[in-house]
Amino acid sequence: MAIVVQPQQAPKADSLSFFKKLSEKPDRFFAWGFPLVVPVLLLFLWQTACDRGWFQSSYLPSPRVIGATLVSMVQSGELWENLRVSLVRVFEGFALGAGAGTFLGLAMGLFPRLEKALSLLTGLLRPIPTIAWVPALILWMGIGEGSKVTVIAVGSFWPVLLSASQGVQSVNVHYLEVARVLEKDRFTLLTRVILPSALPSLFTGYRVGMGIAWASVVGAELIAASSGIGYLIMYAREVSQPDVMLVGVAAIGLTGLLIDFVLLHLERRLLKWNQ
Amino acid sequence: MKTTGLQLKRVSKSFAKLPQGQLPVLSPIDLKISPGEFVTLVGKSGCGKSTLLRLIAGLESPSGGSILLDGQPLAGPSLSRGMVFQEPRLFPWMTAEQNVAFGCPKSFSPPEVADTVHRHLKLVGLTGFEKSYPHQLSGGMQQRAAIARALVGRPQVLLLDEPLGALDALTRIQMQKEILRIWQAEKMTMLLVTHDIDEAVYLGDRVLVMGPRPGSLEKIVPVKWARPRDRNSAGFAKIRREIQAEFF
Repeated sequence: MAIVVQPQQAPKADSLSFFKKLSEKPDRFFAWGFPLVVPVLLLFLWQTACDRGWFQSSYLPSPRVIGATLVSMVQSGELWENLRVSLVRVFEGFALGAGAGTFLGLAMGLFPRLEKALSLLTGLLRPIPTIAWVPALILWMGIGEGSKVTVIAVGSFWPVLLSASQGVQSVNVHYLEVARVLEKDRFTLLTRVILPSALPSLFTGYRVGMGIAWASVVGAELIAASSGIGYLIMYAREVSQPDVMLVGVAAIGLTGLLIDFVLLHLERRLLKWNQ
Repeated sequence: MKTTGLQLKRVSKSFAKLPQGQLPVLSPIDLKISPGEFVTLVGKSGCGKSTLLRLIAGLESPSGGSILLDGQPLAGPSLSRGMVFQEPRLFPWMTAEQNVAFGCPKSFSPPEVADTVHRHLKLVGLTGFEKSYPHQLSGGMQQRAAIARALVGRPQVLLLDEPLGALDALTRIQMQKEILRIWQAEKMTMLLVTHDIDEAVYLGDRVLVMGPRPGSLEKIVPVKWARPRDRNSAGFAKIRREIQAEFF
């Protein structure tokens, strides 16, 4: 009996079509697995470098050590407790800052005179980094929760203010004409035309504002904090625990990623029409 | 006897243009359109035909003269005049149904709105697409929804500003038939602006020919044939030639 060996057809090494195929068919791997490749590779390199003793562990602990610290801190509840305190501050600060930003931003978009009147002031205050307010806020509000929440509120206020006012101002004139021809009153114009049209821009402002709020939590917890993820990092530096310090840093990054992911999906769901 | 229909008396328009002063867009225009008449307006781009329509809609106010509807001078936009723009201008955040419902006057009760929207979506052939968002509809379908939105307020006059200008040739011819059908069903006055001479002759009881800026009515060509009209007949070609002679 003869065994026929089929010559294996070598796939054409057409790298371009390979990537085209990948981008055309956004399958599960491409959406979820592909972005993991680079971080995993870096972790692997980092681990290798630590194993070979290229870094001193008191300066840069290996991913494995950090991972073990993470697990023990999760188990003891220490990480979650600090994270929870910080999250509450961020949500309070964001609610205040984004609320005020939405209100004032919409008003500025609707009334050009108001915008003109405030343009110099906002232009002056906006470039000030939130952390620069910390000493002043301690002086005015003391070292309690109030000043910490305010730092975060200031951080999330600006992007929301700008995007709300931009969103209203960039309403297509064509849509306004349609409403005029159909004899719509001002209230209908505002609620059914101007606000929906400003929503995508407003949502972008919320995402950016939330990002800044979360990023400024460490600055806020510079103010005599005794708990929170920012406090955890500071404290770990004082007692020379680089692994705890880096667990805190990683926790900020991961939580930020998660919050943005949730907001992005909320936006896609609420603004289905915005394709 | 009270005058009915739409009447333009020495209506002119100029826009402020610095530093030369005024830029005249429309020379004084006199025009009478009887109720139920289908009038088409042709002219080159920039001749002011859209401006004339916007004046009648109330989106602009005339620099001179007056516009009367049933003897009453017009002041600003109102539901008595519906408008269909060149772009469908549907709100992307509303479904087809909600967009059409937006055209209903405040006085309508919710069941009245639902019924009116249903009937008009059927009239323009969009039954089954009630829940679709504009981005899910083709250009022709979007324009049908826009026509339905302009119709639900029951305007006496429907103004159409190159409504088929952005559509491909085949969809265009299909939509011209649809517009005729809607006009015959609704028995309203229609004034349609176009730069397509065939479209103007195919649709209008009268074709108004507008000259270059500042726009004025150069010629009024009555088209007396019954509908549907044959675009390939000798008479059609004769009128087409007659209008073309105004431009070239």
